[in-house]
Amino acid sequence: MLPGKNSEERKPVDEVEIKLNINGNVTQVKTEASTTLLYMLRDDLGLTGTKDGCSSGDCGACVVMVDNKPVNSCMMLAPQAEGTTVITVEGLEKDDELHPLQRAFGETWAFQCGFCTPGMLISCYALLETNDDPSREEILTAIAGNFCRCTGYQGVVNAVQRAAAELRTKNEDTEKTDV
Amino acid sequence: MEEFNYLAPESFDQAVVAKSQHAEKSRVIAGGTDLLLRMRDKVVAPSVLIDLRHTSLDKILISNGVMILGTSASLSQILENSEITQHFPALQTACREFAGPPIRNRATLGGNIVNASPAADLVPPLMAYDASIVLRASGGDRALPLAEFFTGPGQSVIAPDEILMEIQIPLLPASSAATFIKLGQRRSMAISQVNLTARLSMNNSDCVTDARIALGAVAPTPVRAHSAEDALVGEKLSEDLIRMAAKKAREEITPISDVRASLEYRLEMTEVLVRRALIATWKKQRRTKTSG
Amino acid sequence: MSDLAIVGKWTAAPGAREIVTGQARYCPDIQLPGMACGKLLYSPYARARIVKLNVSAARKLPGVFAVITHEDIPGENSYLYAEPDQPLLAVDEVRFQGDAVAAVAAIDARAADAALAAIRVEYEELPGIFNPLEAMQPTADQVLKGHDNVMMSQVYRTGDVDAAIESADIVIENTYRTQWAEHAYLEVEGGVGLVDHDGGITVYSSCQAPHRDRMQIARALGMSESMVRVITPYIGGAFGAKDEAHVQIHAGLLAHAAQRPVHLIRERRESILTHVKRHPMIIDYTTAATKEGQLLAVKARVIADGGPYSNSTHEVVNKCGEFIGGPYNVENLEVEKIAVRTNNPICGAFRGFGAPQAAFVYESQMDDLAHKLNIDPLQIRLLNGVETGTKMYTGVVVREASGMKESLNKAAKLIDWEKRDEIERNPKPHLRRGFGMATILKGAGLGRGLNDHAGVVLEMHRDGSVVLKSAAADMGQGIITVMAQLAAERLGIDIASIRVARADTEKAPDAGASCASRQVMVSGNAVLEAADSIRDTLLGLAVRKTKISKDRLDLRAGHLVVDGKPHEMTVKDLALRAGVWGYPLHAESISHFEYPTDVPEVTYRYSTEVFQFCTHIAQVLVDCETGQVTVEKLVAVHDVGKMINPGGVYGQIEGGIAQGIGYALTEELIVQNGLTKNPSLENYIIPMAFDIPELEMEVIEFPEPVGAPLGAKGIAEAPIIPPAPAIRNAIYDALGKPLYQLPMTPERILPVVNLDD
Repeated sequence: MLPGKNSEERKPVDEVEIKLNINGNVTQVKTEASTTLLYMLRDDLGLTGTKDGCSSGDCGACVVMVDNKPVNSCMMLAPQAEGTTVITVEGLEKDDELHPLQRAFGETWAFQCGFCTPGMLISCYALLETNDDPSREEILTAIAGNFCRCTGYQGVVNAVQRAAAELRTKNEDTEKTDV
Repeated sequence: MEEFNYLAPESFDQAVVAKSQHAEKSRVIAGGTDLLLRMRDKVVAPSVLIDLRHTSLDKILISNGVMILGTSASLSQILENSEITQHFPALQTACREFAGPPIRNRATLGGNIVNASPAADLVPPLMAYDASIVLRASGGDRALPLAEFFTGPGQSVIAPDEILMEIQIPLLPASSAATFIKLGQRRSMAISQVNLTARLSMNNSDCVTDARIALGAVAPTPVRAHSAEDALVGEKLSEDLIRMAAKKAREEITPISDVRASLEYRLEMTEVLVRRALIATWKKQRRTKTSG
Repeated sequence: MSDLAIVGKWTAAPGAREIVTGQARYCPDIQLPGMACGKLLYSPYARARIVKLNVSAARKLPGVFAVITHEDIPGENSYLYAEPDQPLLAVDEVRFQGDAVAAVAAIDARAADAALAAIRVEYEELPGIFNPLEAMQPTADQVLKGHDNVMMSQVYRTGDVDAAIESADIVIENTYRTQWAEHAYLEVEGGVGLVDHDGGITVYSSCQAPHRDRMQIARALGMSESMVRVITPYIGGAFGAKDEAHVQIHAGLLAHAAQRPVHLIRERRESILTHVKRHPMIIDYTTAATKEGQLLAVKARVIADGGPYSNSTHEVVNKCGEFIGGPYNVENLEVEKIAVRTNNPICGAFRGFGAPQAAFVYESQMDDLAHKLNIDPLQIRLLNGVETGTKMYTGVVVREASGMKESLNKAAKLIDWEKRDEIERNPKPHLRRGFGMATILKGAGLGRGLNDHAGVVLEMHRDGSVVLKSAAADMGQGIITVMAQLAAERLGIDIASIRVARADTEKAPDAGASCASRQVMVSGNAVLEAADSIRDTLLGLAVRKTKISKDRLDLRAGHLVVDGKPHEMTVKDLALRAGVWGYPLHAESISHFEYPTDVPEVTYRYSTEVFQFCTHIAQVLVDCETGQVTVEKLVAVHDVGKMINPGGVYGQIEGGIAQGIGYALTEELIVQNGLTKNPSLENYIIPMAFDIPELEMEVIEFPEPVGAPLGAKGIAEAPIIPPAPAIRNAIYDALGKPLYQLPMTPERILPVVNLDD
């Protein structure tokens, strides 16, 4: 739990006010300057999908998108996220429909305990944003900072390729409709 | 983490003013991937944090034959820059082998230097490319060769009122090639046991006209292997010469044993890797010549 | 039942949606009104006397709700796995770096940290006992006063070992050393304690054994077990280290002391410093054989460093001894099992439970023998392998062993073993390539003579939907999916119609621990029994309605099936009928692990009788100048008896291999004078995506004839076991020189490369 969260009973330390876009919602948060983006999400906003595996940038469980790039949210202060656009695992689902990547992760058993999954999903989501047909090598590069202890990485590679194929088909269909 | 006041000045000038105002009590933060760790572990406890995020110091550009990299340029930016691919590929290799993508998206060139880690991956290539740095204080700028910046593990000549502003690398003649090699305990997310960059300039008869060998994680600071370089310059390159230079590099370093590697292993690997880097660089030279 | 509708088919896990959307709640994600932050104060020393412990200043700090020491524990101040010899909070001495001396609950983490800082502990550092060989000496200082440092010393013998060695053509004797290994699950240990309206305590626990947690929490609180409830939320991995309790007991104690919810989650550093590790072992091993390669005798001495407290050391070392001869016919075997107390990190359960250490040794030894006799490593294994009906050196008769030789042959085929010499062995002057295999067995279940049972509650509602209540902890290994599949199969419905409640001691009977690859069998059988009971009710109603005899009826794909053809009557119709007319659609079943009573004498204590067999073959490339090893390829063939959930099985195999590669090459807790030097994920080197080669995995199925649901015998532990010896043997093949110590780091390989032949 974050330092100073239940502080109504104590003298509050200096707080900063942060405005940012989280999963499409403009959000205003008051928090301590020393709060990491990870704990602002988890404790201040209740977005506990993003996980704390080490708090030292070593495991990737806390990876979120900040301005279109995956970053370790444990290695970023909340005020550093002022004005940014953040996407967390909670933001991948659109209109109650899972992102193809989320569905593929379930179908290919790309996880067991699921604790690495939020960060892993975001790293893969970031990859698919810039690469619609990633090779095994490219996927491994994208998840080189995400540690999975349960099930290794083959399921993730399979899931990303399956989702990429689905997204390509979808895009082709859209293009056809556009014509 | 101890509490601090967080400042995000709107310009670099304001950042410099804030730094001179708060001096020792303050730290500059850019990516924060290293600083936050040390703050969490209470190795450092600044009462003021000065964030460079609004200071536009992440530019990478070439001006008058010099490449200028702003202190806040992220490792990902460096990886994606085509001019760096053309002129300083060894720097890109170092970035590519650094941690993993989420860290590379935040970690900055300036941070990798200012933290003064003996194992910093970007420093050997920068040193081998003759980089210099510019420190700014409210009193003015100070430029110095990167090699003169470090004084010990986590220690440097930076004054409490100074901020690292930019890194300058002179463009090199086409006759120069360089190789970065990192030895780590796994293929990503590894801190170097040894890292190094070798750069050679050669004339048409395979004679070395200029040599740089810069090493990390084998001394209290990143170091140049001067006697190894001297042994190469003016000589016609051969495998024997390279072996001899690699031995000299080994004799110049003063590594320690830690959880990542023993002193003995670092000594031995320095010799092996310097040899490999020189041979790889020599091969690159040949290729350049054949194709050119 | 021959063609199965659901078992053996790919299916997404129940709960997959929660996981991929971030809605799955793990202990750290639990937030309750008024919840305090709990923290523990740990010893900075490997061994010290507590001269003074004063918490009064800490208690007075603002925002601090409770500070407790050993004096404030209402009940018993000890963990209880087998022996109650580890205090929850240290009394007069700290005996390893992970001993806790006090616990605090405060309004937030900052206040809790301030409270920890205000606790005054005066220590007198004592000379620690760190070398197990010295600790064994009768003159050695006792790590735990009143307890012998040798906490276990047993010899098991079968046949006449000395005579067999005497008569052998070849005798090979080596000493092997293994390391402390860290589980490194992504979710560190944690618990949330809260006070119920009647003063009882509920604890959310990241654990493998909810009912044993309940017993331990009640014991510490001095309450009856009826006043304690343990719930497991989602669990982020365990691998054995959450088998024994950790901080969930303290979470309960703190909630009781503070009279409010307390969130107690370890930090990563604390986790590595405190929870049990895989035992480092020194194993002396003698193999005797004929010149044709027939094994005649094995003689082994295992010395395990257990740290200061017993935890599961007895059981782990006993299992190591049980498998010390490997999946081979060894008529004469002697194993001496010694476990020692030291002031090093505490050791306990870790996936494989002593079998990985044993396999590293017996499979290395097998290749040494093959090299010396110039016999192909595949052939020498086939020559000695156990077969169905073989009486093992433990006295157990193997009821189904076809997987042993079949996995060897299949793996050899997958990697083209016969043609391995056609692959470039020396691609560059400094690079050497090699191939190595390992074949192993691992018993599933706890073992004969131990309490090995599990219960479930199954309930079908009028609309045909089902709730499955089980207290089997799912830490990611997938027992929930397996149970849902088995129930769906028997009830003729789809998995989506089954809601599986996560383990809760108030909802379901004891299922024991999720350990020893046992849950598929014990909980699996309980589910089948309960489902069959409901199925009987449904089919009985169908007989009444259709007047067709029961043996012609089945349930499948939501329908009643008559003579293999779907009838218009659905399972839902039958459920409604049962519900309206009051027929029981509620079943509780407790399944006991089956040990046939007609077996000949079994002599090894707590022997398992169901075996997972598997073979791995590794292809490695060794850099002879840097000592670095690249695993280029690894093939794995596993006999699982019957595969219930392919996604889970392949995932377990791949994940086990990843852990096994780490165990082989990089993973090692560096401990100096009892202090851990690398308590971080930065410096404890676990393989990441690029460190695992693309794997070829194959599952074979030889159904277990007794005690296994549909023949399924679990998969959890086997995959971590063969990688280390397979890689070791591949390095041996590459260099022509053997290694005898794990992990095989570059710095251990280089001196071997440089050895003169």
